[in-house]
Amino acid sequence: MENYSPKVVCFSCRFGWGYLHEDPNLSRLPGMVSVTCSGKIETRHVLSAFKRGADGVLILACPEGHCHFQDGNFKTEAKIFMLRKVLSGFGIEGDRLRMVMAVDPAGGLMSQQVEELKKDLSALGPAAAPAEAAVAQA
Amino acid sequence: MTAKPKVAITWLGACGGCDEAIVDLNEALLDVAAAIEIVFWPVALDFKYDNVRAFKDSEIALSIITGCVRNSEHAEVAELLRRKSGIVLAFGACACFGGTSGLANFISKKEIFDYVYKDAPTVVNPNGVFPQTVTELDGKTLTLPEFYEHVYALNQVIPVDYYLPGCPPPPDLIATAVKAVLTGDLPPRGSTLAPRRALCDTCPRNKKKPLRLEITKINRIHQIESDPDFCFLEQGILCMGSATRGGCGETCVRNNIPCRGCFGPVPGVEDAGGRYLSAIASILKTPETEDLRDLTATVMDPAGTFYRFGQAVSILGREKLAKP
Amino acid sequence: MARQITINPITRLEGHGKIEIFLDDQGGVEDAYWQVVELRGFEKFCLGRPAEEMPRIVPNICGVCPSAHHMASVKALDDLYSAPPTRTARLIRELEYNAFYIEDHYIHFFFLAAPDFVMGPEAQPAHRNILGVIGKLGTEIGAKVIDIRKRNRDIIRLVFGKAPHPEGGLPGGVPRGITEEERETIIKTADDSVAFAMFALELFKDLVLKNEKYVDLIKSPSFSLATSYMSLVGPDNQMALYDGKVRVVDSDGKQTALFAPTDYVDHIGEWVEPWTYIKLTHLRNPGWHGFTEGPGSAIYRVGPLARLNVADRIATPLAEKERQEFFTVLGKKPVHATLANHWARLITALSAAEQNQRISREPDLTSKDIRNMKLSLKKVGVGCVEAPRGTLFHHYETDDQGLLTRVNLIVATQHNAAPICMSVKKAAQGFIKAKKPREGLLNVVEMAFRAYDPCLACATHHLPGGMPLTLVLRDRQGELVEVIRRPEEQ
Ligand code: SF4
Ligand code: SF4
Ligand code: SF4
Ligand code: FES
Repeated sequence: MENYSPKVVCFSCRFGWGYLHEDPNLSRLPGMVSVTCSGKIETRHVLSAFKRGADGVLILACPEGHCHFQDGNFKTEAKIFMLRKVLSGFGIEGDRLRMVMAVDPAGGLMSQQVEELKKDLSALGPAAAPAEAAVAQA
Repeated sequence: MTAKPKVAITWLGACGGCDEAIVDLNEALLDVAAAIEIVFWPVALDFKYDNVRAFKDSEIALSIITGCVRNSEHAEVAELLRRKSGIVLAFGACACFGGTSGLANFISKKEIFDYVYKDAPTVVNPNGVFPQTVTELDGKTLTLPEFYEHVYALNQVIPVDYYLPGCPPPPDLIATAVKAVLTGDLPPRGSTLAPRRALCDTCPRNKKKPLRLEITKINRIHQIESDPDFCFLEQGILCMGSATRGGCGETCVRNNIPCRGCFGPVPGVEDAGGRYLSAIASILKTPETEDLRDLTATVMDPAGTFYRFGQAVSILGREKLAKP
Repeated sequence: MARQITINPITRLEGHGKIEIFLDDQGGVEDAYWQVVELRGFEKFCLGRPAEEMPRIVPNICGVCPSAHHMASVKALDDLYSAPPTRTARLIRELEYNAFYIEDHYIHFFFLAAPDFVMGPEAQPAHRNILGVIGKLGTEIGAKVIDIRKRNRDIIRLVFGKAPHPEGGLPGGVPRGITEEERETIIKTADDSVAFAMFALELFKDLVLKNEKYVDLIKSPSFSLATSYMSLVGPDNQMALYDGKVRVVDSDGKQTALFAPTDYVDHIGEWVEPWTYIKLTHLRNPGWHGFTEGPGSAIYRVGPLARLNVADRIATPLAEKERQEFFTVLGKKPVHATLANHWARLITALSAAEQNQRISREPDLTSKDIRNMKLSLKKVGVGCVEAPRGTLFHHYETDDQGLLTRVNLIVATQHNAAPICMSVKKAAQGFIKAKKPREGLLNVVEMAFRAYDPCLACATHHLPGGMPLTLVLRDRQGELVEVIRRPEEQ
């Protein structure tokens, strides 16, 4: 898929992943969402991202035990495991939803993670729009 | 004296259980029936499409519509009744959210047809016949309505004024809903005629539920003998009462079976399945992430469980019926 | 030029059905098609679901016979997990299942069949309904029917939560027991149901059997069909509703098959026609060769009449006496008169009530031993019950986690799909004399169709009882010639 450039939405937690809005060339990129804690990301945010045409969603959270809000990352991880199964039910491969738990106060790692996901996504091709996804499965 | 308000009742892609719920009003139905003139109820009264067409627009005070929209005939009936009715009430989980039939949206029409008419073990179909919308049989034409690719909730086909959830809705809620419409004291259009608080609030097992609930194991309903006095979640059994609208009388829970959310979500929830998923995720507890992966893997069928009644109105599942 | 008559929609099968009748140039009936226009896809969209969730998903197939789907599904789980129910669990299940039979059969008889017999088939259709019946027999009978139905549905709600849509059956057990206080009300309901059953049979004999016109109508060739019959039977071939083997007798009454439900695939085939969504079940031996009658035909019927034609006897005394009288009046077994289904229905309901009289007094009914927890998944399970409208099969296959990989359902009304087409055609042929079909054709087609009580008839809904039939005549080019419809009530 040469000319296909995957659209990624990236939710990054402010504590572990640097202050996104201080990095001009990153924060102006479309699809970069900064949240106070990954625990604040609701399932409907992820679902809406795919509904609006995202080919992949990346969640950048603090490593285990380092979440500023105790278990925000832990609860989000539980959601992600189950959400992957739900996505495949709707015809969207679970691998399109990725969660990385690491510390990157300087914000350098973020664009690298996004590029890595984009590379993997180009192998998968575009996520079928949810309604057609059911047919694509047939 | 003013003429009795005209009421129409019909079923689309439905199982008939909602109609039974109306008949089950028994005595209550008789006095309700006295106050209204039922002009259209295909399963009970003579079916007269042309009579409905003969009514002036909005001449029917209330149309009670049950069932999802799965084929062209359903859509035609829904549109006709919308035109002829002042108020349209989506009645039951199928009309409100797509119901269990909405699970069909997880697969394609082709998959259904291939299995039902070709691959099922008992099928005898040597010449690979499939049902057709038009069949010519030596000069005779036979037609079937077109089977849509997608299962739609009623409000994805016509504008809906009020919703009455439940599979089927309980008799007391039906009676109050119909009376509210007839007396006109109704909440704003688009409201659901059922309590706003969650099922847990009135559930008898809620009293003993610890404040910070944590579970380290998921049990399926056949794997343990659940204790009727304790909350299902505490016993590791998936129960969706925390994000489900109350009003059903906790029928399943009192029968020692967990809730699956046929009353739909509490107000303000855009994706019921997502809300149920988060509610369960928030009470799972394990020492390390590795065990969390294994623990969540024991939630066997999140798509089929959390979207049991609401797939057709979920964020990823919903779709408007495009007018041909 | 052949004229096409469309009866659309007739009644509801999980949705909608319609009949197309084609007349030849002499006005005779060339062909008749009963088309089912509804398809749900449960067998496919349940794949991937945990098998133990099925008993609360499948009742949504049909709100008229949800208890049948619930029970067949629970028994499929028993088989899937090799976990027979404890004695108490089985008693509770049979109690609920008999209660379902009673309320289902009586609402059908009094709301649908009785109007024909009480008011007479030629009576004004506008009066030929439950209101007419109540008018003639007194309001007390309407109240009695509603009361018996309500109290038996209360048993269903007590044991399985909701009616419609009972749920909670588990492999090897039931979710909730019965207390001694609850037993008192159940005994009362069971006893009153037996008394009501005898009353209903007396009423039927007074109204129908004592009236020559009706007996001729029942015995008339246009309302009979020489087919094979299928039903569940117990160990010594007695009528069975909850559990048993599947027995088939041919149109002469000779047994041609007796098999365990798990072997149903070897005996039952589903034929596909392009003009209907329902598949036409038939006997694989001799195999499908069209809508044919008599010996050598693969077509069989199920339901109340089939149960009496297949069983050697009924295990409850009162119903057994009635069964014997049934065959003395209507002639030797098998009886092919479709309208005899109405009488057979009352006899089955009586037997169900007698069963509940016994079960409600069983000491074990209120024991707490309601779950057999020795479950071992064998990944294939077949559950079979005799549903009010006929034999119902649920066949599940799972992976080693108990998630469904294959589901096959043979729904009760399917067995009668081909016979209904034949009965409608035969009834129409028999009664069409004049070139221009009169209102009479509507009544005749309705009677032939209603006797099968296909779940689409949604018998339990027929409040005023009028069958929603509108006959639309079209000429060869499909132009509208005439519409015959029930005269306006107003
Ligand atoms: S909401 Fe439930 S009872 Fe009503 S039509 Fe749908 S499945 Fe049947
Ligand atoms: S989760 Fe279920 S069992 Fe627990 S309190 Fe809520 S409704 Fe009751
Ligand atoms: S307990 Fe839940 S699933 Fe059961 S009837 Fe109430 S809302 Fe519906
Ligand atoms: S603060 Fe970073 S994940 Fe909670």
